[in-house]
Amino acid sequence: MATDLAPPPVKAARVDRRKPSRGRALWRYRWLYLLLIPGLAYFLVFKYVPMRGLQIAFQDFVPFLGYNGSQWVGFKHFEDLFTGPDFGRLMYNTLVLALLNIVFVFPAPIIVALMLNELRINILKRSVQSLIYIPHFLSWTIVASLTYILFSVDYGVLAGWIHEIVGGQKIDYVAQPEWFRPIIILQTLWKTTGWTTIIYLAALAGVNHELYEAARMDGAGRWRQLWHVTLPAIRPTIVVMAILMSGNLLDMSFEQIWLMTNNLNRATADVFDTFTYYVGINQGAFSYATAVGLFKGVAGVLLIFGSNWLAKRLGQRGLF
Amino acid sequence: MAGALTLTTALLASACSGTGGGGESSQADADTITFMTQLFGTAPSPQGELHQAIEKFLGKKIKVTWVPNAEYQEKVNVTLASSNIPDVMVVDPKSPAFGKAAQAGAFWDLTDKIKKYPNLVGDEKVLLNSSINGKIYGPYRTRPLLRSAVMIRKDWLEKVGLEAPKTTDDLYEIAKAFTEKDPDGNGKKDTYGLIIPKWPGTTFAASSPFNVIDVWFGAPNNWGERDGKLVPEFDTPEFFEANRFMKKMIGEGLVNPDWNTLDTAKWNDPFVQGKGGIIIDVDVRTTQLLDLLKEQDPQNYGDKVLTVGNLSRPDGKKFSLPFSGYKDILAVSKQRVRTDAQLDELLKTLDKLASKEGQILLTNGIEGRNFKVENGEAVLINQDDPKVKQLQDDVDKAFIQLGTQASTGTAGIAYPRVPPEEPYRKDLAERKERVAEDLKTAVFDPSLPVVSPTAVEKGATLNPIVTDARIKYLAGQITEDQLKAEIKRWYDSGGTQIAQEINDLVSKLGQ
Repeated sequence: MATDLAPPPVKAARVDRRKPSRGRALWRYRWLYLLLIPGLAYFLVFKYVPMRGLQIAFQDFVPFLGYNGSQWVGFKHFEDLFTGPDFGRLMYNTLVLALLNIVFVFPAPIIVALMLNELRINILKRSVQSLIYIPHFLSWTIVASLTYILFSVDYGVLAGWIHEIVGGQKIDYVAQPEWFRPIIILQTLWKTTGWTTIIYLAALAGVNHELYEAARMDGAGRWRQLWHVTLPAIRPTIVVMAILMSGNLLDMSFEQIWLMTNNLNRATADVFDTFTYYVGINQGAFSYATAVGLFKGVAGVLLIFGSNWLAKRLGQRGLF
Repeated sequence: MAGALTLTTALLASACSGTGGGGESSQADADTITFMTQLFGTAPSPQGELHQAIEKFLGKKIKVTWVPNAEYQEKVNVTLASSNIPDVMVVDPKSPAFGKAAQAGAFWDLTDKIKKYPNLVGDEKVLLNSSINGKIYGPYRTRPLLRSAVMIRKDWLEKVGLEAPKTTDDLYEIAKAFTEKDPDGNGKKDTYGLIIPKWPGTTFAASSPFNVIDVWFGAPNNWGERDGKLVPEFDTPEFFEANRFMKKMIGEGLVNPDWNTLDTAKWNDPFVQGKGGIIIDVDVRTTQLLDLLKEQDPQNYGDKVLTVGNLSRPDGKKFSLPFSGYKDILAVSKQRVRTDAQLDELLKTLDKLASKEGQILLTNGIEGRNFKVENGEAVLINQDDPKVKQLQDDVDKAFIQLGTQASTGTAGIAYPRVPPEEPYRKDLAERKERVAEDLKTAVFDPSLPVVSPTAVEKGATLNPIVTDARIKYLAGQITEDQLKAEIKRWYDSGGTQIAQEINDLVSKLGQ
């Protein structure tokens, strides 16, 4: 780096006339690079420096003794995790939720975006767009409280309506394990769909109108246009979103699940994120919790590489 | 990775914020003592009247990190992982994180030293209960030894023409009448008997209404002796008896339908709103109920709550659930207090704070300012003055948490606070009699002073097993045989070891 910054003056003068050197480019775009610094600093301070703490996954960490004083135990915590009774359940719960996310949550914004795109009345389109963004700005705490209020078996308004229509026994939606996943997915759909739609709408805005005109000349109807023009045009966006999502596949939104958990549905509700929190912060088993988190992180990295590879295999442009 | 990172970031952030808030631990002079404790309102200002008065009384500066009660345990765990542990920390001595830190030497072992400071010892039995296997890490904060009680809507009871309950069968009858006989007289069947909230956490013995009823039926209080050995509460026939009783009540709709999701903070609501009529909890809840009912009906609120003590089981035998007699200890960290001389200095100060005068400051306030003494009781005065109101709030919502020999509910060595209104006075007088009566049949938990290492290590996995299974059984999701299978699973996954350790540790303690 240092040599780049200070090339021999004679040489620099000569190069100047042909192609700008790397140092020159750096200087020329210095303001842009300056703008990059806060972002880099963020990642360094909040993402890379804390990784130093990952070493406690291999220790019997006691805060008072610190990183250096705590005993090294190798892979003990990982062995405990993989052989313990919790692992299977956590993995299953996490994977099932991940799968439901792929099937229901991932396509939802695409469908909504396509539907909005077909709307011709601008004011309607705009207002629908704005309305469905709103849930994104509510915290999970509020969403969870709303769910409890609407679905409580005692005084829940929605639960009451459903009961009136369907009849039969009253169902305690928020406490039954079999209703846990549907509720989580519905909450996620309600909260995130509108916001993610923005990205697809942006991609849709970039589709060349001449393509539609050409398709119409060839006699393509609405569905044909959608299938042969719109979808191929936003395919790269969908692929990138899919790869990004795969990296977060094992990241369930912690607050959401934590807030919806109770004694009756815990067996279905526990995922890696809530378990890490419970074991680490509530029970004070820092090392074990870190081992669980590290495992999940590694699995996430593998997933992102895997799906990137798959995307390239299928002839799409990958992320990297 | 995100999980691990979240965790480490949280620790890091707290470490940073600790430095910002707790301040200059390294250069702090010996004249400042740092504390950390719970807060139930807004944090008192260090310039506040009470804060200043305490500093003047101690002859030292104090600096308190006030943490909202709801997130206290988490904040404790995170603080323990930081490099900024306050000198005196209010902690649950049985929490795994504190146990590990204490074992590693982060806190002073005061077993041999505490006797030298007369105000810190308190009751020796309770002091032992607050220890970790006999090791004492600090003075305990006193609590009434017996707090369990049943609160019933008195006006409803009269409406349905029933007497105050004596046995669990009576309780059932009342709950049934409250559900079916339209006690609120609105012509609709929209009430229920017992109100139970979602019990937070996964710890089995949590003094929940379920634990209270277990003990009423004769099950051990957490651990108890059967055939010469200590067994857990849930491995006894009486436990199943109690749960059959509960299941019947729940099955017949005598309990609030949302009993496993109702927020504990909203426990009073159904009672006050006239939806449910019975609460089983600590007796001080009566005061809260009276407060709320008074807002609704300032004239007759006193006729709406009836509090009775522990109930006997159907055959007439009575067992009462006592509490541990303490809540948290004041542990002294070694971070800044390094030498025996410094420790002695600090303990002397704590001893002074635990004296009668100190406890009055912490739990009553400043005499002549916010209260006066009448017949040995504290009577609130000048409450209309906003400054005095502030002082009163600083006492009630903050500094009372540092009281060791006096606290909410037990005046201890400070002045008992007597509310002016008759219903409160009556409740307080009845409470005294009730507690004395119930203590005769109290079932004590012999395992209180001990901590099983396996329970600490595997608690995260083991704790939820039986706790959740019981709730599932009560909700009708699993059968009694499946509940028994879950108990066996608890034993197989490490419970056997815990039982062994508890037995060994308790017998060692007795020697």
